[in-house]
Amino acid sequence: MVSLSITKRLPGFTLDVSWEADDPVVGLFGPSGAGKTLTLQCLAGLVRPDRGRIALNGRVFFDSATGVDLPPQARRLGYVFQGYALFPHLTVEGNVAFGLRSRPREERIERTRMVLDRLGLAGLERRYPGELSGGQQQRAALGRALAVDPDLLLLDEPLSALDAPLRRQLREELGRIIREWGKATVLVTHDLAEAYQLADRIVVYESGQVLQAAPKSELLWQPTSERVARLIGVRNLLRGTVLKATLEIIQLRWRGQTLEAVNSPSRLFLPPPGTSLPFFVRPEYVRLIRKDRPGLDPGHHMNVMEGEVVGELDQGTTWTLLFRVNAPGALSRDSYDLEIEIPKLVYEILEVARDRWWQISIHRGSIQVLPSE
Amino acid sequence: MDLFPLWLSLRVSLAATALTLVVGIPVAWLLARKPFPGRDLLEALTVFPLVLPPTVLGYYLLVVIGGQGPIGRLLAAVGFELAFTWRAAVLAAAIGSIALLIKSAQAGFETVDQRLEQAARTLGRSEWSIFWAVTLPLAWRSVLAGTVLAFCRAMGEFGITLMVAGSIPGKTQTLPLAIYDQVQANQMGEANVLALIAVGVVAMLLFGLSRLMRLRY
Repeated sequence: MVSLSITKRLPGFTLDVSWEADDPVVGLFGPSGAGKTLTLQCLAGLVRPDRGRIALNGRVFFDSATGVDLPPQARRLGYVFQGYALFPHLTVEGNVAFGLRSRPREERIERTRMVLDRLGLAGLERRYPGELSGGQQQRAALGRALAVDPDLLLLDEPLSALDAPLRRQLREELGRIIREWGKATVLVTHDLAEAYQLADRIVVYESGQVLQAAPKSELLWQPTSERVARLIGVRNLLRGTVLKATLEIIQLRWRGQTLEAVNSPSRLFLPPPGTSLPFFVRPEYVRLIRKDRPGLDPGHHMNVMEGEVVGELDQGTTWTLLFRVNAPGALSRDSYDLEIEIPKLVYEILEVARDRWWQISIHRGSIQVLPSE
Repeated sequence: MDLFPLWLSLRVSLAATALTLVVGIPVAWLLARKPFPGRDLLEALTVFPLVLPPTVLGYYLLVVIGGQGPIGRLLAAVGFELAFTWRAAVLAAAIGSIALLIKSAQAGFETVDQRLEQAARTLGRSEWSIFWAVTLPLAWRSVLAGTVLAFCRAMGEFGITLMVAGSIPGKTQTLPLAIYDQVQANQMGEANVLALIAVGVVAMLLFGLSRLMRLRY
């Protein structure tokens, strides 16, 4: 259980964050310069916060109220730095054994051997970091941190030093290693896919503050604000006017249409009519209504509207259609209203390339309404 | 041919270099790593011996350690004689050369990625252990280069030495002082030999240094 509540002022930047997590892997996600690495440094004792409290499993690392400030040496954390920071003058073996100096010689050798074997570094003991591939360096850095049997593993942008193809492969390997060693981990990344794949809980950072901390699927489907939605790359982020709100549904006016959305049961959110609210619809959840099947099914088709495909992007196996709703008034984007994503197969069967006028429907459960800011 | 000045110079320079290392390395590390009040003053102070006229330095040093000086009297009280002994020559050579070591070592320490030291901290190693296991091994080139330069500079120390140790033949007359003496006495042949030896020693050291620098760690 990591519990952290700290303030740190730097010239031109203030970190003021508070979060708690009991999950195996916590991802700190946000744009660069948001304070994620600074948080990690405070956790590890490399930077001293101005105020606050940091504790791990009830062990207090820092508490400005009682004057506790454990040095990094006493915190028992495994820190994997961005770019790995392996000791260039030591071999892989020397790096892995570095934190074991105070242990008896036999234990030191045995433990180093075990770590090297488990991380697939056997045979590379005598190599220097400069002679290793990106993946081997990552494993050596993990090995160095894991060798001391830390209470918590800290990973700072573990994959940012790598090229895209290697990155995906090493992301899987990293996930496997974290799970296998069963170490509680805090991971810093600016890549949502990385955070989503590796972490159980995601803490969203922006400008030195935490915008949201939630289990990862909750974050993806229920961002609590427009800012979070923007940071996690939500594509159809739109704005409508409330017509009616009950505990079950919210009716919104948007582009001359009346949309009905499920009110999030967890939020008890009752904005008064006339409120302007952000909402979003994932492009994969907008459906084209087939013209070869007569009649609308009211249980199936909701929030039906008509419009034109005004542009498209070939994504390979999927196509993104840029859709303009047939209604007067300002568009929600420069030249279109909605992005719709369909599989290439559907694109071909429906002959979208030829046929540009469509009716679309959006299920009310697919419209996520965000609280206004 | 009397080679005493050569042996004395080598002995004095070795002792001075040792003294320089003991004092200079911690100072260089402090300057490179720790912000503290008076840091800028200390940094300026370390450059003083490079830019002040040696005779001025020598003069003030003599004022301090001479028979009437505060430290000189203190030492005399415990029966230790410093001024006009070979030990004064060591002190003179150390003061004349320490700036070279400090500047070089400081630059070396500054280029060591501090994240490596931080990594060592999170791995439980003490500051003392980190210095020996990480900082110094990564900055050894600069430290070694500074050491060799300081040794060569100590070999050539003239002005400060003359002021505080004198030029007593067979006692405090180092190689540069002997050469000067012989030129004054118009013994050009002997001056020539000593000068060649001085060039040889320094050239060998610098050559050896450049060979060592090719090693990795």
